[in-house]
Amino acid sequence: MAPPPIVQQKSSSPSQPSGKSEVSDLKLQLRQLAGSRAPGADDSKRDLFKRVISYMTVGIDVSAAFSEMVMCSATSDIVLKKMCYLYVGNYARCHPDLALLTINFLQKDCRDVDPMIRGLALRSLCSLRVPNLVEYLVSPLSSGLEDGSPYVRMVAVLGVLKLYHISATTCFDSDFPASLKNLMLTDSDAQVVANCLFVLQEIWNLEANKSEEANRERETLLSKQTIYYLLNRIKEFNEWAQCLILELISKYIPSDSNDIFDIMNLLEDRLQHANGAVVLATIKVFLHLTMSMTDVHQQVYERLKAPLLTLVGSGSSEQSYAVLSHLHLLVMRAPMLFSSDYKHFYCQFSDPSYIKKLKLEMLTAIANESNTYEIVTELCEYAGNVDVPIARESIRAVGKIALQQYDVNAIVDRLLQFLEMEKDYVTAETLVLVKDLLRKYPQWSHDCIAVVGNISSKNVQEPKAKAALIWMLGEYSKDMPDAPYILENLIENWDDENAAEVRLHLLTAAMKCFLKRPPETQKALGAALAAGVADSHQDVHDRALLYYRLLQYDVSVAERVVNPPKQAVSVFADLQSSEVKDRIFDEFNTLSVVYQKPSYMFTDKEHRGPFEFSEEIGNLSLDQESMDNAPRFDESDKDLLLGTSEREENGGTSINGAATPGYSAPHDYNSSLVPLSSQTQSEPAVTSQTSFAIDDLLGLSMLAAPEPPSLKLNSKAALDPGTFQRKWGQLGVSISQEIPISPQGVGSLTTPQALIRHMQANSIHCIASGGQSPNFKFFLFAQKDDGSASFFLVECIVNTSSAKAQVKVKADDASASEAFFALFQSALSKFGM
Amino acid sequence: MAGAVSALFLLDIKGRVLIWRDYRGDVSAVQAERFFTKLIEKEVDPESHSPVAIDDGISYMFIQHSNVFLMTAARQNCNAASILLFLHRVVDVFKHYFEELEEESLRDNFVVVYELLDEMMDFGYPQYTEAKILSEFIKTDAYRMEVAQRPPMAVTNAVSWRSEGIRYKKNEVFLDVIESVNILVNSNGQIIRSDVVGALKMRTYLSGMPECKLGLNDRVLLEAQGRTTKGKAIDLDDIKFHQGPFDSLAACQGNVCRLLIPYHLRCVRLARFENDRTISFIPPDGSFDLMTYRLSTQVKPPIWVEAQVEKHSRSRIEITVKARSQFKERSTATNVEIELPVPSDATNLNIRTSMGSASYAPENDALVWKIKSFPGGKEYMCRAEFSLPSITAEDATSEKKAPIRVKFEIPYFTISGIQVRYLKIIEKSAYQALPWVRYITRAGEYELRLI
Repeated sequence: MAPPPIVQQKSSSPSQPSGKSEVSDLKLQLRQLAGSRAPGADDSKRDLFKRVISYMTVGIDVSAAFSEMVMCSATSDIVLKKMCYLYVGNYARCHPDLALLTINFLQKDCRDVDPMIRGLALRSLCSLRVPNLVEYLVSPLSSGLEDGSPYVRMVAVLGVLKLYHISATTCFDSDFPASLKNLMLTDSDAQVVANCLFVLQEIWNLEANKSEEANRERETLLSKQTIYYLLNRIKEFNEWAQCLILELISKYIPSDSNDIFDIMNLLEDRLQHANGAVVLATIKVFLHLTMSMTDVHQQVYERLKAPLLTLVGSGSSEQSYAVLSHLHLLVMRAPMLFSSDYKHFYCQFSDPSYIKKLKLEMLTAIANESNTYEIVTELCEYAGNVDVPIARESIRAVGKIALQQYDVNAIVDRLLQFLEMEKDYVTAETLVLVKDLLRKYPQWSHDCIAVVGNISSKNVQEPKAKAALIWMLGEYSKDMPDAPYILENLIENWDDENAAEVRLHLLTAAMKCFLKRPPETQKALGAALAAGVADSHQDVHDRALLYYRLLQYDVSVAERVVNPPKQAVSVFADLQSSEVKDRIFDEFNTLSVVYQKPSYMFTDKEHRGPFEFSEEIGNLSLDQESMDNAPRFDESDKDLLLGTSEREENGGTSINGAATPGYSAPHDYNSSLVPLSSQTQSEPAVTSQTSFAIDDLLGLSMLAAPEPPSLKLNSKAALDPGTFQRKWGQLGVSISQEIPISPQGVGSLTTPQALIRHMQANSIHCIASGGQSPNFKFFLFAQKDDGSASFFLVECIVNTSSAKAQVKVKADDASASEAFFALFQSALSKFGM
Repeated sequence: MAGAVSALFLLDIKGRVLIWRDYRGDVSAVQAERFFTKLIEKEVDPESHSPVAIDDGISYMFIQHSNVFLMTAARQNCNAASILLFLHRVVDVFKHYFEELEEESLRDNFVVVYELLDEMMDFGYPQYTEAKILSEFIKTDAYRMEVAQRPPMAVTNAVSWRSEGIRYKKNEVFLDVIESVNILVNSNGQIIRSDVVGALKMRTYLSGMPECKLGLNDRVLLEAQGRTTKGKAIDLDDIKFHQGPFDSLAACQGNVCRLLIPYHLRCVRLARFENDRTISFIPPDGSFDLMTYRLSTQVKPPIWVEAQVEKHSRSRIEITVKARSQFKERSTATNVEIELPVPSDATNLNIRTSMGSASYAPENDALVWKIKSFPGGKEYMCRAEFSLPSITAEDATSEKKAPIRVKFEIPYFTISGIQVRYLKIIEKSAYQALPWVRYITRAGEYELRLI
């Protein structure tokens, strides 16, 4: 036997069995069979191919047999062909030179008489993902799109998308999008139509940031004509395609209320579909269509309840989870509508904990006067649950309900009963809650303190709980006879206390206790301060020193600092702002709902749709922790940015809005921003003072169509909202000016998106926008295209009734800001033309 | 944005990749494997982890079936509900092909698995997921496949889920009405939640292109048909219709639902169906789910359980359980199983029953009392005595945990009272078809938190 040719093991991973000898053995056998026309040769080939595929699947690199495989591919046997396509598709990308070998036979197969083979070959050809073979794709694709068999057309349509991802220019040069559009509106096969829609949506969404035309195309997908065409055929589509079409319809902007009702009547039966995804997609359509009609919107909620609750109970737990996540969102938006359905959210013993957790949150949200008793009783059952995390969640849920002010009396009793259960984790959770309750309802202190006083601090280990206990000891040291001694005990064990949080609380509690009962606490405080000053943790050290010096300076001042009269907390701040919640609602029926985060927080930029990109409204008011020290925008900004959210809906969430005024941003941060409420009146005055170099600029603005200056901007600039806010806070205003907007521009500015898209085409990107006619506000940014990380930040307030734009520019490189402003102005002047 | 997935993985129980299909080339198998193995290592019980997780900008969604995980990886913001459902559909298809979906069956059938994955999803978008359609162009026995393959009819969009020219010697239809009772009882013996989920499942062995007409005693259906509802009608809260590959059905006004006929006939018959609101449809061949419904009116629990716990001493405990059947005497519950939780450290079990047999199932920390046949209106007893170690572990202070769970089946009985009033089969050759209707009520989530 001749020695096998040299095998080039290109990327065989060391952890895998190399299989070198097997591969060369296979090569040899394949070579022998390649030319054979003997009867039964196909059978042996199948065997060999199967082995090759198995090796490939388990991770052995069989790419060395590439040429032999291709040689054997000349066959009419479809199974052999399929295996060969599979093999080629797997290795083509890492061996582009070899892939060239396959083009020939794939192209030939694309012209086969059998539509199955034509389709399969075309699919494989497009899946090679080798950029330099793109030229060979165009003609098989164009004939594939006109093929007589819907199977081939269906494959060809997705082939266009594959081509687009390899080479967008080739795709546009061959005018494929236009062919697809035509096909979508005329093809008799539903799956072909559905695939066209998949492809067009993806292409135009990706292109929308780049060109105006793509935007127009994207909007024609949402035109009444297209929407109605798809609606009328919706029953022909399979369930997945129906989801897609419904998703598209949910973005449609109906012309009038008749339009809305027509669509809803037509889709009513989709709510009865057995596929939960179709039902959810329909629900999204209903919710979004009726956004502007408050009372209908309410009725829609009522109508949706039954199908959603059925879906939760049927199917796998994964499906229930997906549905429950959506129900959760709706419950959070309108808790009172679900208050009578609370029993549906009772946990089953066998529910997985991810489902139990959602159910607990919903039970918390829908608790009101009428059902609190039942819900709390049920939650208390879970407190003894074997599943400790769920038991903890249940206790927290009880506490949250108490903070919602329903039937507090009974709940406090229950919480105190928890403390008597003497389970460490129950005690720990309950202590934290009792602390929060006392901050809100100081009138309960008497009952609580009596019980809390009995808890031995030795049984409390969790830092949060310990801190809570210590806080109570300090705060209520007057009513707890033992307080100084318990504290003293704790301070003695200072060095064993690992959590800085606990040590901080210990310092403060000792101070408070000292100010109330000086003789008993003096020794303990001394020990605490000494230990604190010697502490290695910076905060603990600083606080100890502060207290020490305060006491040295004046005890009464210390009293005022440490023990001021407290106001009961009325509302605890919600972690999520209402804008973020609205964004999630806009992205109903996507992962956003499951993660409870808008998509910009978890997807890469290139995988987002243009909507998601251009309207990053929520970013500007993320929870504080996520962007420490970032300046917070003024409250009035927030209102304006809210845009589409309808506040009267959010019975539950409106509290959050109310919670924010309590937070006062540091003054110097705020002053760098213009409070928007006074924008229209005070703004011109402010700017006329601050604008310098105005003559020069005015000169520019006199020109009808100013020449774009030489400054080049990076069309793909990226800036995350956190950085934007930081920069905005740091940089000074380099230009502030009012510029006129053309009447055409004003006319086309009905939504902020119109301007955003226009500016994006000029490489000026929007990071946040909001407002309603006649006032719009935009935060934009751009980057110099010279490799430097030099950014320009713009605040632009447009008043359409006066046709003026108030522009403020801040720049990393202030010297370039004039050039940029000119560019900005010229871009703005072309808006609407 | 609709959202396409990037790849589909089939993983073994330890989270290693068995086979995967890379649809868009923007995720790596190594990365996915690393993430997933870490995820399931972390969890003692893999089922307790949420089926959606994110790592490094890639969203993973997965389900488990026997010893295989099915997982998608996606970079876009996908439709979670639809993808999880899609994965279940993939399971169905594999089950159709390999009888059972498990690691072995996948390993034995790499090629078919690849073929199926290619047809079910293209570039991350779901395509055909109906086993019936797929099996027309991907044959299990690849070796004996005919060369002259044509794309199946559904793919060429000629008709639907039912092929022409089906022939049976004996034309029969089996309709099963299966109701599951979900009950939750609290420690005071109060029913805090009860509902009924019903399903109509059919198996058809009918020749030609038959049209089935089904009449139920649903109140809304009856009223819509202008019939008087004499006592027996019931109110269904919500109905869902299961559908063939091409959505042929269910146009509803309010709660009234009817199944339409496939669209190639629709234009002809639509007018008639506007007026006549019976459920009427052309069934697929073989077995399928016709519809499901839900009823949240409170029902009387068919099997009621009372439990009493007596502590004779610190270490001696006696549980007395009474089970009562609360349905008509002419019905009989079969295969009744009552699971009583006992502490995990119980020893010396002594069990006596007045009917059936009871045994200790230490793996569930439970006592299982089985009664083969439990006629209506009867009451049986079970008494169990056991010892606990006199020294208790520190964390065992409260043994509050599992509820009593009950399983049973009651044939020839629907707890909701739903009835099939008629099931007519109309075919142009006018053959006689035999409709068989069977009712069964069984326990769903049936929990009593009594102990």
